[in-house]
Amino acid sequence: MVGRDADNRILVGGAAAAFCVLIVATLVVKGSTGLQWIMSGMTVGSIYALIAMGFSVIYSSTHVINFAQGEFSMLGGVLMFSLVTRGHLPTWLGFIIAVLIVTAIGAGLERVAIRPMRNHSVISVIIVTIGLAIALRATAKWIWGTDPVRVTAFSSGTRVKILGAYLPPQSFWVFGFAAVAVVLVFLFFNRTLLGKGMRAAAMNPDAASLVGVSSSTSSLVAWTIAAALGSAAGIVIAPIILPSFSSGAMLGLKGFSAAVVGGLGSAPGAVVGGLVLGVLETITAGVLPTGYKDAIAFLLLILVLLVRPQGLLGRAEDVKV
Amino acid sequence: MDRSGVKKRLLGLDREYGILLVIVAFIFTVPLWSRPIPGSVLHMDIVNIMCLAGTYACAVLGLNLLVGYAGQISLGHAAFFGIGAYTTAILCTRLTWYPTWLGVLSGMVLAGVIGWLVGVPVLRLKGHYLAMATLGLGEIAFILFTQLKWLTGGTVGVLNIPPLSVFGFAFDSDLKFYYLVWAVVALILLFSVNLIRSRVGRGLRALHSSEIAADAMGVPTAHYKIRVFVLSTVLAGLGGAFFAHFQRYINPETFILSLSILFVTMVVVGGMGDIWGGLVGVIFLAFLPPVIQALPEWIPGIPEGLTNFGNYQLILYGILLIVFMMFLPRGIAHGLERGAAFTNRRYRLLADHVKARKYE
Repeated sequence: MVGRDADNRILVGGAAAAFCVLIVATLVVKGSTGLQWIMSGMTVGSIYALIAMGFSVIYSSTHVINFAQGEFSMLGGVLMFSLVTRGHLPTWLGFIIAVLIVTAIGAGLERVAIRPMRNHSVISVIIVTIGLAIALRATAKWIWGTDPVRVTAFSSGTRVKILGAYLPPQSFWVFGFAAVAVVLVFLFFNRTLLGKGMRAAAMNPDAASLVGVSSSTSSLVAWTIAAALGSAAGIVIAPIILPSFSSGAMLGLKGFSAAVVGGLGSAPGAVVGGLVLGVLETITAGVLPTGYKDAIAFLLLILVLLVRPQGLLGRAEDVKV
Repeated sequence: MDRSGVKKRLLGLDREYGILLVIVAFIFTVPLWSRPIPGSVLHMDIVNIMCLAGTYACAVLGLNLLVGYAGQISLGHAAFFGIGAYTTAILCTRLTWYPTWLGVLSGMVLAGVIGWLVGVPVLRLKGHYLAMATLGLGEIAFILFTQLKWLTGGTVGVLNIPPLSVFGFAFDSDLKFYYLVWAVVALILLFSVNLIRSRVGRGLRALHSSEIAADAMGVPTAHYKIRVFVLSTVLAGLGGAFFAHFQRYINPETFILSLSILFVTMVVVGGMGDIWGGLVGVIFLAFLPPVIQALPEWIPGIPEGLTNFGNYQLILYGILLIVFMMFLPRGIAHGLERGAAFTNRRYRLLADHVKARKYE
């Protein structure tokens, strides 16, 4: 086992080194254009990271892959359009209301559709989440139509110039929100009793339930957090990507890839996975024809599954009898 | 599967073969009774829908074995379906001398090889890694179908695909294709029944109840899972190749995640791990859209908006999927079986009652 650990360390180290070399090479060869790519990669990467954390939170508490995760982001984006762009509410109020609505939807769905499935196999629950995704997407299509909507940026103003690279002001909102969300999630899981209990339940559900951690509450809280993270991500990115009923699918798949690349169930892994994926994607889009941009996430996903299935920062799972 | 240990029989055959015979007989008669009914009565072309359902059935029956017996789920079977379709479409349109049956075979082989390449490393792991890997593969396949314009024709796709022909006999009408594709589906059913009754099948069933127990009893679980997965990809390739020769044109929009999800839904709604369930799921979901669309024609007074399928199809679909998982987790086929057993018991009770009265 020691040899295998060492192998793994070399593998992860090698991947990190290769990534750094790629970043430096991009900066050297492309100069400020390269910096531009990396910065916008980090913007979209922060969003992937938030969605990936949603996947991870639900996965570690219930071992379910939630295929409706991307739809939370889509709902956040289109709700923001209705509340702020159409409803003329102030941005901060629209943000809070949109997050609350989507979070309530997430918690409600957990009670209505996931909780009754607690005695079924994981596959059945995964299929239920697919059903939820389809129904949410179709409902959004019914309410908001098929055309993408334009959401007003959080702050007006032109692009900001940093070292020759131009960034829209919204990027800074994205970075800020992502950082705050990561800190909040970290504090929840490390400083509150409920959060610590959920971590315990993720490690050993039986032992945790013996000391009074309710698996039902864990599952509800996990879905609530995942919906809140997903909707916040969808809202802050909305002015950049023009959300529509169908934009959740791709966001969800990318966030999922990021979660697997970083290590499903690991919060730091989700952040690393998201940022790496975002940056690689924009660099690819700059170098190759744009049609191939989306393939990077899935190539990386398959590569990681083949070489290091527990993800870059994940721990190998023990098999329990 | 027989849990009582007593072999149930149907039509003088083992129960499975009896059911198969009934199904084959029924499928043979479908065009005989549905064709003479004028289209204006049904508002749908049953044979045409069944042709499409037949191509899906090839993929779904394979996927059913994978989900039901290997306990693994694939969210990328549309990719293998697409690989089968594109392989035969490209070969048969670019090389005019290329026999179409060989094109179908080539599609199956390529789908199987790619399935094997993905399956071998991923299926050695425990957990739902196959779902993740196949999901990624499905997206990559769709991007390649769209982007490799010199090969696949991009978003336009491949047009003017010749109909399937074997030794000079072309299956160029719906009716001819119907009999071809359903004969093949019947063969796949026969194969599945035999597989499940074989040594490998018993191993797979053990694998499904407990992977660790099966491992301990010497069942090479990883090996079996890979074999079933590759088999399911080959069958998906076959379905896709049939699809290409039936539609006569293909484009990437067909082979998207929704199709993979449709396949999984068909398995789930019909009954995971129940061979007949896969078939029931295919036919149920293939007819659901046209039936809903035809409802206002059949029953006057239903508001048009309620059946406007473009709007409500997906909402209904999603909810249906959830409701099925909750209330009928073992599928329609199992539900039917239970219903039949229930009425049987009622009749037997009634018969006993009558008999008892007679001797009073």
